[in-house]
Amino acid sequence: MPFRLGWRGFRGAIDVLFLAPLTLYILGLTLWPVLSTMALSFQDRRSGSFPTLANYQAVVEHFEFWDALYNTLFISVVGLSLELCLGLVMALCLSVPFRGRGVARALMLIPLGVPTIVSAANMRYIFGTVGYLNETLHQLGLLEIPIDWTSGGARTLMAVVAADLWKVTPLVMLILLAGLESIPGELYEAAVTDGAGAWQRFRYVTLPLLKPAITAALIIRGIDAFRIFALPLTLVGRSTPVLSTYTYFEYVDYQNPYTSAASATILLVMILATTIAYLQIAGTEEVIS
Amino acid sequence: MTKTHQRKRLPAHRNPIQALLGLLLAWTVACPGLLVAAERTLTVTMRLDESEWRVMRAEILPRFEKECQCTVVPRDVPPEQLAQLLQAMARAGRMEIDVFAQDNMRLLELVSIGVVQDLSAYESRIAPQVSKVLLETGRIQGRLYFFPYRPNVQIAYYNAQRFERYGLSPPGTWEELLHVARVFKEKEGVGRVLFQAWGGAPTVTQVYEWITSAGGDPLVLTHPGTVKTFRFLQELWPYLSPDSRQAKWDTTNQFLAQESAYLAQNWPFGVRLLIQEYGKTAIKTYSGWAGPARKAHVIGGEVLGIPVGTPNVPLALDFLRFMQSKGIQELLTVRLGWPSLRTDAHGRVEAWMRPYFKAVTEALTHGIVRKNLPYWPEYEKLVNEAFVRTVVRGEAVEGTLHALQARLERVQGRY
Repeated sequence: MPFRLGWRGFRGAIDVLFLAPLTLYILGLTLWPVLSTMALSFQDRRSGSFPTLANYQAVVEHFEFWDALYNTLFISVVGLSLELCLGLVMALCLSVPFRGRGVARALMLIPLGVPTIVSAANMRYIFGTVGYLNETLHQLGLLEIPIDWTSGGARTLMAVVAADLWKVTPLVMLILLAGLESIPGELYEAAVTDGAGAWQRFRYVTLPLLKPAITAALIIRGIDAFRIFALPLTLVGRSTPVLSTYTYFEYVDYQNPYTSAASATILLVMILATTIAYLQIAGTEEVIS
Repeated sequence: MTKTHQRKRLPAHRNPIQALLGLLLAWTVACPGLLVAAERTLTVTMRLDESEWRVMRAEILPRFEKECQCTVVPRDVPPEQLAQLLQAMARAGRMEIDVFAQDNMRLLELVSIGVVQDLSAYESRIAPQVSKVLLETGRIQGRLYFFPYRPNVQIAYYNAQRFERYGLSPPGTWEELLHVARVFKEKEGVGRVLFQAWGGAPTVTQVYEWITSAGGDPLVLTHPGTVKTFRFLQELWPYLSPDSRQAKWDTTNQFLAQESAYLAQNWPFGVRLLIQEYGKTAIKTYSGWAGPARKAHVIGGEVLGIPVGTPNVPLALDFLRFMQSKGIQELLTVRLGWPSLRTDAHGRVEAWMRPYFKAVTEALTHGIVRKNLPYWPEYEKLVNEAFVRTVVRGEAVEGTLHALQARLERVQGRY
């Protein structure tokens, strides 16, 4: 009896056909390299034996790894908090109708279009010892001796946070603005009718309804913050390593793809763990809704 | 009658396209050698700055093309990417590079991954006038894998105007260096002497040089000379420029140009950049300072190698010989101020460049060849750790170096 493909079977075959390129793309260029890197991290450099934890041991014994871990967490937590606050303020300002709002919105989005490496190079002109920031402070009479912003320590971390803030806050603002505009105006009218003030409207209407947007912004930016690479590499170099630059230096400077893979895997686990933990706390429905 | 019709009816010998094809066919039959020669292509990778590329493209490579009737395709490949690139091409069975120039401090990785040809059989082709010391930089475990073509040493750059302002002379010893660093810090409130403390190769090259000049053994971290060096660096650190943590071979030029640093060691490529491009004529050079035991300058520079799998080995060997020839070495000296690797090449450098060239030549007389160690990346990592922990963070020198020496011995034991 000849095989006859029914309509549903035909639809299924078409679906598979259309999904195949993207699936192959994701598997081949994303999942496979990630799994290969993970496998490499468990392989011994000299003997090739598998599995081994020697690379992880080498990484955690290296003093710069702990610096990199701390710096990554610091930049992620502090940077993300500031981005969220600043992004929310900007979004609230831009959600109110005013003359020139379109222009203001477009201007706010300019940093998003600047390549990270370009913004990092510009930031070097600002934060260098003979940079614009020191010069401005000097002209204002606030500074006698130039401050060394990029040679390590808390100041350098804050310089990275500030530089990152300029670049990525517009993205957070954009997500929150979309969230704000999806809140029905009737809710505010009802709140006003009930006698709610501005703060109460923000606290009991805006914030709860903005939670899905905040969650999306936190996850998107959180993952990005952990992966921060070009900015610290260009702005502060090796004086303030983060996990991604540490991974890069292991591979390029010390020519060790195995320890590099181990630190990359640690970074991946951190990102996954944080995302899962946040979704557990905030609830997946907040993102889906 | 239309023009199209007229064209169609032209006799074959009057049709320009047919005539051109006929001419090409006749030329091919008459000069097959020329046609074959024109197809010979040699792909050469180097890492040069813009001014160096200009000379290489306009004056050096065309000479070789003319001499060997071939086409040279130059490619810029950073030294840190070369090994991966060659390995990928070798694995793919498609070697697209015929000759590469590589930093002589990154040779071992190429040999260890098996992407470079053993050139020992061709050693007799090297002219006797080529410096024997430089030849050794290309020899690994008794086999000659690389031909030298460009020797290099770090020299000291100083801002003569700033030195004069404070009545200082360029330091010739460690004590004088410390004095100069202190005076700048006292006078300006911020350190103006730069040490390349970025980490990685720039830092380790300087530390290696300083340990040798203190009479130490760079490969023994507990050697008295090594301990002395780290102690001195620890003492010097508070007076150094804060930009030191950002200083490496490229950024050092930037700090000198911006006048955030007045004294720094670096490779001579900065001369052309600082003087010619930035017009910083106040920046002068000299060979540098001596340590407590001697003066020492790590011989850097580049060597040429031929990758495994290239089909153009004879032409590649011709290129190696060409780059070592007297004429080319003299041209490189005259046009770029590169010191020659030959004892018989005495190109006269441009007038403005002479003092700088003198500094390089003088430094070369104190040249030391860094050992090609199979565990160099791990060694580099440990020295870097020693530097950060003792010099930057101020940990006790002896204790730290003893702990790191134990780790170094474990590494050495594996090889």
